[in-house]
Amino acid sequence: MIKVTHVTKTYDDGKVRVEALRGINVEIKNGEFTAIVGPSGSGKTTLLNIIGGLDTPTEGNVIIGETNIAHLSENQLIDFRLNHIGFVFQSYNLIPVLTAKENVEFLMLLQNKSEAERDERTTKLLKAVGLEDQINKKPNEMSGGQQQRVAVARALASKPDFILADEPTANLDSASTANLLDIMYRLNQEENMTFVFSTHDQRVIDRAKRVITIEDGKILSDEIR
Amino acid sequence: MIVKIAFKNIWRNKLRSWVVITAIALGIFGGLAVISTATGLSKMRQNNAIRTYVSHLQLHDSAYLKYGRLDDTINQQADIITYLEKSKKVKGISPRLKVESFIQSAGGTSGVILNGIDPEKERQVTDLAEQCIAGNFLERYKQKPPIIISQKLATKLNARVKTTIQCSFTNNMGVPITGIFKVVDIFSTSNSMYDELNAFVRLEDLQNLTSIQGSHEIAVVLHEEKEVEQFREELISKFPNQHIASWRGIAPDLGYADKMMDLVMTLFLIIIMLALAFGIVNTMLMAVLERKKELGMLISVGMNKRKVFWMIIWESIFLALIAGPLGIFSTYLAVNFFGRVGIDLSFAAQGLRSIGLESTLFPILDDKYYVIISILVIITAILSCIYPALKALKLNPAETLRTA
Ligand SMILES: Nc1ncnc2c1ncn2[C@@H]1O[C@H](COP(=O)(O)OP(=O)(O)OP(=O)(O)O)[C@@H](O)[C@H]1O
Ligand SMILES: [Mg+2]
Repeated sequence: MIKVTHVTKTYDDGKVRVEALRGINVEIKNGEFTAIVGPSGSGKTTLLNIIGGLDTPTEGNVIIGETNIAHLSENQLIDFRLNHIGFVFQSYNLIPVLTAKENVEFLMLLQNKSEAERDERTTKLLKAVGLEDQINKKPNEMSGGQQQRVAVARALASKPDFILADEPTANLDSASTANLLDIMYRLNQEENMTFVFSTHDQRVIDRAKRVITIEDGKILSDEIR
Repeated sequence: MIVKIAFKNIWRNKLRSWVVITAIALGIFGGLAVISTATGLSKMRQNNAIRTYVSHLQLHDSAYLKYGRLDDTINQQADIITYLEKSKKVKGISPRLKVESFIQSAGGTSGVILNGIDPEKERQVTDLAEQCIAGNFLERYKQKPPIIISQKLATKLNARVKTTIQCSFTNNMGVPITGIFKVVDIFSTSNSMYDELNAFVRLEDLQNLTSIQGSHEIAVVLHEEKEVEQFREELISKFPNQHIASWRGIAPDLGYADKMMDLVMTLFLIIIMLALAFGIVNTMLMAVLERKKELGMLISVGMNKRKVFWMIIWESIFLALIAGPLGIFSTYLAVNFFGRVGIDLSFAAQGLRSIGLESTLFPILDDKYYVIISILVIITAILSCIYPALKALKLNPAETLRTA
């Protein structure tokens, strides 16, 4: 469970002050398939970064499970991210010099998992995202859609509590978008994996089970379907 | 895993990696090349000096060195010579009688040291005989006693082979003495200062002229240079009244030259390492800044800073590990090749002669320098990528992911 209370985020570089988030309160339960939507500059990325421990809130708390991550040090945050949160970014998700298999394995190596466990899980995950025949390809030998599917498999590899995806389909054509969403949706249905993703794409929004709309750093609507 | 990624990362920009590898290899090569030529030069100077005039050891009477009087001859001469001739370590000995004298020809005058030598014995100690142009090392002569002077002195005196020359000095009683000699040969060594100051006559001729028996100096050459100091100790304990010096004591400048070389080499190495460091800092910094997004992603998904840091460090270690053997191997080949063939410096022969060098240089490299340079290069490589690696740690993952 993710519990965001009274979170504000103000960027202040001395010259310009930007209030990116102005008092966000939201609770995301396990097993949700939630889209965060809103116009450009509304604060979607900022919110996802704060939930994911990539950025710290100016005020307020972010409680994940039992942990208030607003109180963690930088190094504790890195460890927390490794063990509790899966990330899928818009681009630059993968390590270019490694194969699909090695990219998926990477987080498990950081977690010191045994080779047997790594092998088994990597094979299973790449199969789940439909890439069992691409395991030895490097990122630049795969399409954008395939790369994003590897990124989803990689995000799952560390057995996170939930997966955050900031505009994961922004660089994909509609077929790849649909395919990626199918995979995410199936993982959500079958494995009860929680997904929180931001998007501009109406077709993606249509697939979400809950849609949180933010504007100007505030929650405008919160709709559960 | 980190190590594996680091290794793969260096081949992402092949050209850049090869530039750095080449730079490091050249650095090693350059450093070792300087050291080996410098060592070669200094060894050459030493050998040259030992072979032409210093010898390995010289024995004098202590009083002779103090006062330089004609009758300060070596007083245990017979015992010493017997002892030396028996020793297996000794290759040759040459007793010399030395007299400071004016030398005069129809064409000019100068001051020299007349060295009374036994040509046969002298041949075993110095290569003076080989430096003579006419090949007559005080051996073939008619009525007048023979003398050999240097090319330099010959020019000064306007003398040639067959020119008659007059030498005059005062003996130990204060009586002026004059000897007439005939030039039978002209020599020239690689040390022009030595040339100008020395002339050679037969030992018995000079003994007759001065009415002094014995000699002032015994020059000794051993079979092995490395036994010199130990053999010197041996002689000192045996003949405590003699002054016995090794070539290091006789010509300390040869040793000073080594010290100078050390200093120059150290400076040179520092410069090479600084250049190397600068190159690596630059390249790795570029490699880090270029990969900001990727590094940001790695930190985002949970790769801790220690691992990111070591990944960058490993990248430079690999560059150094590839470059090191390359540089060392190419140096090894070059030093061995030129150590055998020699480097031809004849274009500068004239200048080199005046400082006691020959025109073919044989580089010498002590094995320890390969180790020293390799360690230095690797340390430099590691040290100089610490800054870029720290730069990578400063990356803010949220920021790097945001900037498109
Ligand atoms: N590092 C920063 N410094 C200053 N202002 C920032 C910074 N990061 C974001 N902002 C500002 O915060 C606001 C929210 O940005 P954010 O990226 O969260 O919006 P977004 O909803 O993700 O937009 P988009 O749909 O374009 O991705 C914007 O006005 C943005 O300019
Ligand atoms: Mg955004």
